[in-house]
Order: sequence, then structure tokens, then C-alpha cells
Amino acid sequence: MKSILKAALISTALLSFGGLAMAKETVVWWDFLGGGDGVRMKKLIEDFNAEHADTVEIQATTLDWGVPFYTKVQTSAAVGEGPDVMTYHASRIPLAVSQGTLKEITADDWTAMGLGADSFASTTWGAVSVDDKQYAVPFDTHPIVLYYNKDKLDAAGLIGADGLPAGLDGIDNFKAAMKKLQEGGTKYGMATTTADGGFSFRTIYSYLCQQDGDIGTDGNWLPGDNAEKLTKAVQVIADWVKDGYAPGYTDYPSAVALFTSGESAFMINGVWEVPTMVDLEKQGKLFNWGAIELPVMFNHACTYADSHSFAIPNNVGKDATPEKHAAVLEVIKWMEAHSLFWATAGHIPANKAVNESAEYKAMQPQATYAKLLSNMVFDPKSKNAGVASPLFDAAGNAFAAAMNNEVDAASAVQEMKSTLEALQ
Amino acid sequence: MRRNRVTEYATAAVLVAPFVAIFGWMFIYPTIQMVFLSFTNAPLIGNGVWVGFENYIRMFQDRIFWNAVWNTSYFVLLTVVPGTAIALAIALMVTRLKGRTQSLILAAFFLPYVLPITVVYLIWDWLTNFQFGLIQYVIEPIMGKRINIWRTIPWFMPSAAILTIWWTNGFSILLFLAGLRNIPRDLYEAAALDNASRWQMFRSITWPLLWPVTVLCLTIQLILQLKIFDQVYLFAQGGRTQATMVLVQYIYEQAFQKNSGGYAATISVALFVIVVIFSVLQYQVLRVRGEK
Repeated sequence: MKSILKAALISTALLSFGGLAMAKETVVWWDFLGGGDGVRMKKLIEDFNAEHADTVEIQATTLDWGVPFYTKVQTSAAVGEGPDVMTYHASRIPLAVSQGTLKEITADDWTAMGLGADSFASTTWGAVSVDDKQYAVPFDTHPIVLYYNKDKLDAAGLIGADGLPAGLDGIDNFKAAMKKLQEGGTKYGMATTTADGGFSFRTIYSYLCQQDGDIGTDGNWLPGDNAEKLTKAVQVIADWVKDGYAPGYTDYPSAVALFTSGESAFMINGVWEVPTMVDLEKQGKLFNWGAIELPVMFNHACTYADSHSFAIPNNVGKDATPEKHAAVLEVIKWMEAHSLFWATAGHIPANKAVNESAEYKAMQPQATYAKLLSNMVFDPKSKNAGVASPLFDAAGNAFAAAMNNEVDAASAVQEMKSTLEALQ
Repeated sequence: MRRNRVTEYATAAVLVAPFVAIFGWMFIYPTIQMVFLSFTNAPLIGNGVWVGFENYIRMFQDRIFWNAVWNTSYFVLLTVVPGTAIALAIALMVTRLKGRTQSLILAAFFLPYVLPITVVYLIWDWLTNFQFGLIQYVIEPIMGKRINIWRTIPWFMPSAAILTIWWTNGFSILLFLAGLRNIPRDLYEAAALDNASRWQMFRSITWPLLWPVTVLCLTIQLILQLKIFDQVYLFAQGGRTQATMVLVQYIYEQAFQKNSGGYAATISVALFVIVVIFSVLQYQVLRVRGEK
């Protein structure tokens, strides 16, 4: 009897504490950031919570990336059980908007956060807009880049006077550089994910853009001579494999392993692998390395990019209170202001105030590749495009075989085109 | 007496009611909904417009759907009978062992069954890795070159079948062992007195008496393998998913990736019909054979 009384007293006490804490807003946060960038995001969230100990608390959950994340957001928002704020790929916004999953970021919201169109690169701002309305706040830009082994390039005489790789522009020059490296004793010139056509779509799409090509959009995929341009883009990688510069059938972890073990002098991969290199370097297990904007294979520089952004789900039947909404905006505003730390994960901060700061310009190799911000291309504006989308799948089906020379590039492009045309 | 019968029925009804209620609510109702959904153009969430047989017409003309039907059937062919035969062979060997050795060997065969598919995937993905995989050291001398198993179409399904048998065989082995233990010892003693050979004992005693267990194993395997998803989905990621597509994967893709709930429901109805036809057919065929 005594113990029951005691338990009752304790729970009453706890309840009243809970009552006191009610004044503090909690912001339920979902993200999909595993790996190196996830660790950094956790640190940012901790810092935010510490700074806002009396006012706002972020309750964060990390979910599985890709289709599972987007499906969960869509289904939970439809029944009012979504989070208060979440990370979202800009490339997936067209689909989310067509499903009514996202709340518009209104002009008042932008004012409250002290941000606007001028705060971001125009391509990035365009990526979060649908019909001139914004549905997310860009947090970063994450393009693919060319990682290089500086020691090997040095030995092969491929480092210019500015300390950066030189003479890599152009299909033939790039091959010649890889040949030089391989003659110098490196097993492969290039490590890239040749087993995954979906992942390689990022590279191929960049090369398409370098020829002023256009993938098209729903109802009009690969218009005009774009199929030929896409074929040329695929052929670049297929030739690397055929000529022995790049190993075929290489999956993502293998590509990273080939580069970090020194078996390959170059790697094309996302900027999110920067933390891997930094950590290995700290442990003294890595050579001198760097990362630069993708070399120009065709007419002009152009690189695929996507953006992690913050979006507010449209929780049906459960509108956020004005206090809650203000807390969410405060979270986003704070994160934008502190995105310099996020840059250590490799991503380029979307907020111009941060990526034009002196601190960012001193950050290497981030500051070197950040110049690609003016040469970016995002996924086409289609509900079938974006990461883990039907477009990526179509590319996976077509290009995995073509890159490894199982089928010729032209028929792979035709296959992709017919798959895309069958989409509804 | 009459009153008794009524009470009996009432008791039976009360006892059965919870199951019927849950079964109706969790299974029958959603199934009916699924059939309705297949006649609409509904997205993943929310209602659609009635479109009649449009989805069905589309399905019958869908190259990828037929590809998925073929791949699923091929996978069933590669796993159900071979898997059951291997399980029987292993059970026959394990049953001859005694005591601790038997438990140890049995545990070794059962262990993979305990693993979740994600772990199975990681183990095999690592073993078969094109650059670093151990199995490549076996493949290279035989084939003359390394083979990326999960990107080479003729290799994909057989490899998926092998790892599935490795993964799920433990359960069938257990069923067979239980069946073997149920066969009375004196039958073998009598046969031994009559000078029967080991093969004759197997043909005339073990095999017929084990037949009901075999039927059970085959049916469980058939239904399970018709619903193949995880292995194929995980290993085909980023690759030629259309060429290796199986039915459940296609349902998943349509519903969750392409947001076409209606069409996904149509394929689900097709899979439902296929599973019902095959399992009823198989069970009947096998039972008739066993009763002969």
C-alpha cells in the first residue's frame, strides 16, 4: 500500500513538471542523414537545443533514405501524423507538391527567417520552387566532384602551378592523363560506380548538360537530338571501362575503397564522401588528396547537383499553432545561420552569406569546388525525377549494361527513352 | 437434448468469434478493398476514379508485368522442389547422428534461417563482390574471368535461388526431422528382419510415411517463394531491375515509387489469383499422389 502511494506521489510530481515544461515548444524533426553528415547534423541539433534550453527543443529521428523516407512522409502527412519539419531533397519536391505533401513557404515565413531569393544561388532557388511558389528552404547544395590522389598526380606531372590538377579537360586529354597515371604504376585511372546506373546518372547527366543537352520532361523525354547527346555522355564512361581506365561492375563501397587504397587515382563521387577522406587523413591513413569541379569533357563546365532542404509537411487535419510554426521557422533560421559547420560534411552551404564568408573560403577542398555553384544543373522538374525516382531507375536499367559494354550506348538510351515514355 | 445443441453452437460461436472478427477485419475486408481499388486510378493515398477494366487491359499489355510473372515462376522452379529435396537429404543425414553432434550440426544448418534478410544480403554481397569477393576466386579459374553475379542476367536468378535455399532451408529440415522421428522404429526392425536393403527401406517406409510432411514443405515453400521480394530488391538496386523484376517488387514499385495505388492493386489481384491457383493445384496433385 505504501509503495502504491509513493508511486502515485511521484507520478503526480512528474506530471506537474511536465506541465511546467509545456511552455517550451517541441519541434519534431525527421531527417534521412546517416553516415558522416548525420553525425554532423546531430551535433548541430545538440547545439541548437543547448542554446534554446528554455524555448525550443528539437526531437530528431533519423529514418532510412530514399523511397522509404518519402513514402513515410507522404502517408503520415496525409493522416496528420507527420513531423513538424524535415529534410527533403529539392529534386523530390515536384512529386511531393503533386501529392499535396508539402506546405508552401510563404512570403511572411521568408521575412520571419530573414531569408529570400537573394540568399541562394538562382539554380538552387529554382529547384525548391514550383510555379513560382517555394516549398522548401535550401540548406545545402551537394554536387558530384572529382576526387584526386595528389601524390600520384604530382608524380605524373599533372599538377599545375596553382597546385591544382591541370590538363584534364577534354575526353582525350583526360584519357591521356589516366594513361600516364597507369603507366606510373597506378592500377586504375578512375574509380566510379559502374555497377549502378542510377548513381552514375549523376555523372552522365552532367556530361549531357556539358553539351547543352536536355533530358526533357513528362510527355516529351529526350526531345530532338538529345538522345544522341546522351549517347555520347554514356559513351565517355563506357570507353573508360572498355580501355581499362576504370574497372567495370564496381559498386559504391568498392569505388571508395579503390580510391582510398590508392589503386585508383581519380574518383567521381558526391561531396558527401569528403568526411571519409578527412577522417582517414586524420588517422594518417590517406595520401594527399583533393577534390575539384568535374573536368569539362564537352563544351563547357556543368555539374549535376541536388539540395538538402528543409520542408514543412502539410499535416492534414492538424495545423500547427502559430507558436509551433514560429518555433519551426526559428529552427530553420538557426540552421541556415550555422551551416558553416555543415560544410565540413562536404556539402556547399546554400546560404550565400555563409558560402561567401572568409571562413568558408579558407575551408579546403570545399572552397575549391564551390565555384561550380555557377555551373550547376538540377534534375528536371518532373514528378518522375529526382533521387530514387523512376528516372533514376530507368537510368539504372539502361546504363548499368551500357557502361560495362554489354549493350551499345545508343540502344541503352533508346531503352531508357521508351521506359520514360511509358511512365504515367 | 435440443437445448444442449443450442448451447454447443453458442459456445462454438463465442470461441470462434474473435478469430472470425479479426480475420474479417484484417484480411477479408482489405482484400475486398484491394479488388475495388484495382478498378480505380487511385494514387497511393486517397480515392481514385472508377476506370473499369483499364488497369487490367494495361496489365495484360505490360511487358514488365509478364517479365515479372516469368521471373517469379522461374525462381519458384529453382527453389521449391530443389530446396525441399536438399532439406530432405540433409534431414536424412542429420537424423543418423546422435546427441550433441546432432544438435551442433542441426544448429549449423538452422543458423542462416535466424538471420534477417538484410544481414543475409550483406554477407552475400560481400562474398560475391566483383573486386574483393571470396567467391570470385572460385569463379575466376572456372569461368576464365570474374563475373558480376548481380548484374549478369543469366546468373541473377540461380544465384538468388541458391542463397534463398541456404537461408530458408533450416525450417524445412526441422519439419523433415520431426517427420522422421514420428516413423515407428519397429517398422525398420521388421524390415531388417526381412533382409530389406537400405534403399528398399527408404522407398517403402521412409518415403511414404514422410509424404504428408513433404507436401506441407512444398506448399509452404511454394507460397513463400511466389512472394519473393527482399532478395531480388536488395541485390538488383541500381542495376537492371526491369530484367530481374518479380511480382511483389513490381507491386512495390508501382505503389510506393510511382504512386499508382490502383495499378499496384491490379497486379496484387493477379498475384493473389496465381498464388491461390498454384497452391490449391499443388496441394491437390500431391495429395492424390500420396493417397495412391
